[in-house]
Amino acid sequence: MADDNRKLINLTIDGKPVQVPEGTSIWDAARRLGIDIPVLCHSPRMRPVGVCRMCVVDIGQRTMAASCVRPCEEGMKVEASSAKVDQHRKMLTSLLLSDYPEYSAREMSTSNDQLLALAKKYAIQDIPFADGATGMPRGTDMSSPVIAVDHQACILCDKCIRGCDELQHNDVITRTGKGYTARIAFDLNNPMGESTCVACGECMAVCPTGALTNKSVFAEMQVR
Amino acid sequence: MKLLTKMMHLQEQHGVVTDSMLRDLSKSEGVPLHRLEGLRGFYPVFRRTPGSKTHVQVCRDIVCLMKGGPQFCRKVKSALTGKPGVEIEEVSCVGRCDTAPAATINEVPVTGSVENIVAYATGKKPLPAHVPTTTPRRWPTDPYTNDKEHYGVLKKFLKPGDDRQRDEVIKILKAADLRGLGGAAFPTGMKWEFTRQAPGTPKYVICNADESEPGTFKDRVILEELPHLLIEAMILGGWMIGAEEGIVYIRHEYAKEKQALQAAIEKARGAGALGKKIFGSEVDFDLQIFVSPGGYIMGEETALLEALEDKRGEPRNKPPFPTNHGLWGKPTLMNNVETFSAIPIILDRGASWWAAQGKGNYKGLKYMCVSGDVAKPGVYCVPWGTTVDELLTLCGGIPEAKGLHAFSPGGASTNFLPASKRQTALDFKAMQEAGSSLGTGAMVFMAEGRDVLELAISEVKFFRNESCGKCVPCRVGSHKAVDLVEAALAGKPAPRLVHLLEDLNATLAQTSICGLGQVAMAPLMSVISYFPDDVLPKLEGSGRRK
Repeated sequence: MADDNRKLINLTIDGKPVQVPEGTSIWDAARRLGIDIPVLCHSPRMRPVGVCRMCVVDIGQRTMAASCVRPCEEGMKVEASSAKVDQHRKMLTSLLLSDYPEYSAREMSTSNDQLLALAKKYAIQDIPFADGATGMPRGTDMSSPVIAVDHQACILCDKCIRGCDELQHNDVITRTGKGYTARIAFDLNNPMGESTCVACGECMAVCPTGALTNKSVFAEMQVR
Repeated sequence: MKLLTKMMHLQEQHGVVTDSMLRDLSKSEGVPLHRLEGLRGFYPVFRRTPGSKTHVQVCRDIVCLMKGGPQFCRKVKSALTGKPGVEIEEVSCVGRCDTAPAATINEVPVTGSVENIVAYATGKKPLPAHVPTTTPRRWPTDPYTNDKEHYGVLKKFLKPGDDRQRDEVIKILKAADLRGLGGAAFPTGMKWEFTRQAPGTPKYVICNADESEPGTFKDRVILEELPHLLIEAMILGGWMIGAEEGIVYIRHEYAKEKQALQAAIEKARGAGALGKKIFGSEVDFDLQIFVSPGGYIMGEETALLEALEDKRGEPRNKPPFPTNHGLWGKPTLMNNVETFSAIPIILDRGASWWAAQGKGNYKGLKYMCVSGDVAKPGVYCVPWGTTVDELLTLCGGIPEAKGLHAFSPGGASTNFLPASKRQTALDFKAMQEAGSSLGTGAMVFMAEGRDVLELAISEVKFFRNESCGKCVPCRVGSHKAVDLVEAALAGKPAPRLVHLLEDLNATLAQTSICGLGQVAMAPLMSVISYFPDDVLPKLEGSGRRK
């Protein structure tokens, strides 16, 4: 980054000044300062999409900005950790948790379910919304020999899609449906095991929740 | 456009888009299967399995809810039970609120009682003709008295010395204070200037003719009766920014309006106003129509662009804006139908003439779509600054000598206001100061005795139903908001319900990607604020606020 000719932009994040090349996202600029902005749909390996909205920051405009996709601007004053920002992050976490299954295969196996980590961080206990997970209405897909799909734990972060289509170029995963009934799908909405999936494992490696996990782990969890 | 056009063609030919069709398309177009599934699953026009011979779609949104009652669709359904080859579906606003309750049968708009719709659906009554009017009305934004004069403004401006002429047009549009009349109110002169200055070629001109917000149907009338103004302004737009290609993105439900526009485009080509070397100048520009595969969200400008790029119509994160980064990442000038169609007369008669058409300090003319509890619903072109009360009088007042209880001035996204605000001027700023906004100019009048909570919830349900599902606050939040209110109405309100709704609304408004999620709860919050006596007892089971 240092050897390019991009203009340098000056801004402050939580009062700390930082200088970054033009085009840098607020999220990346914050990382330089050691400010960790929570995120579910982003990773530095991927093209940012700004869909989980967990990384919103206050830039003094009409609405908040998703820091993973918003480029830094000269003179910006970013509030990345205010009470107001946290209130929204907490609400978004609650919304996602209200549809989340009781058990997450990721949490039970490797203890790194990122949604549950946020639930802990924000000490969320009572969720005031109707439980959308009862009976797991979105279902599971156990057709792949390797990968377990728990649609109820899917938060539509788009990471598996970018992992499959953009990082690995396997071109299998999409979103189908629309609105609240949108979900991930393989090929023409086929069971994963009957799709062109080659079981490379990228999707489960990048999945932040219990939606895509190793099948043997998921099976073990079901037994418990 | 290519993939979606092919898929729409398949749907039209076969009544279905099957897996095997998509496998063939995947091979012939060299696109992966998942991309085609993403499109088929997203756009409502596509079906996975063949439908019945007769497809009845009944509108469920606010004005049809008022006119047909909450059981309207159910009544149509039960009256058609057992009739072979008929299927009934509840759908979002079809843009015929002036003839509510509205339905369509095999895409032909029909209206009237349950019995009437059943008679059409069962073939007892032949379907009404769905062809453009042959007797368009005279509208005050049309500078021409007959066809022969059409494109006169264009002729006047396409002269050598173009750059000075272009500067002049920007100057006039700014002085006229023309704003985006699709609801966003962005200054049109600035938009034209930004797109003109934006680096990159080719550039595009797009007309957003996808109005789909409940209560909104003004562009429908302009498309049918004044298509030449829209075409003329788009050519001027092309000349302004240096674009040679224009696209009118029209909503699926406007078949006869599309026909009228298509006929006008062909006429313009014949007259030398479209095509190569327009009127002997060095300017090339042509237009095509793209019919939307459906969904309100495509009216959001970047979702519309995604659809034109054969993607799922999910709004982009902004910035960048379409003026610089639009279709295929190129500078794109996009305006709404009404905005474009106001331009010829402004350029013909000048900014001060336009200003003088408004009342007092307000400038210009505004098309209002009026529906709900009003004697003569329809599209009215009124001076900017006309009051709500004057509009109501113009439209024949409220039937049955009832009083006005509430009004929604600008479509589903705008706050309901109480009758006490009826002296508010129809103007972006005045309406904002009164606690709402002018939005699309979709005025829904609600008489005394109307349940504003029921009607406001119908608006929230509309946004929930039309959410694209891309971002969490809108996808999950709009769903949970409806759940919360329905639970309360069923006698099980969540603790501190109003606080919770306020917090949820704040998150939707602050963190959603696009305007749909940002306003999804606005009508509900407005009836809580402005009609507490009507609403709070129903929500909380007591009359006390919070």
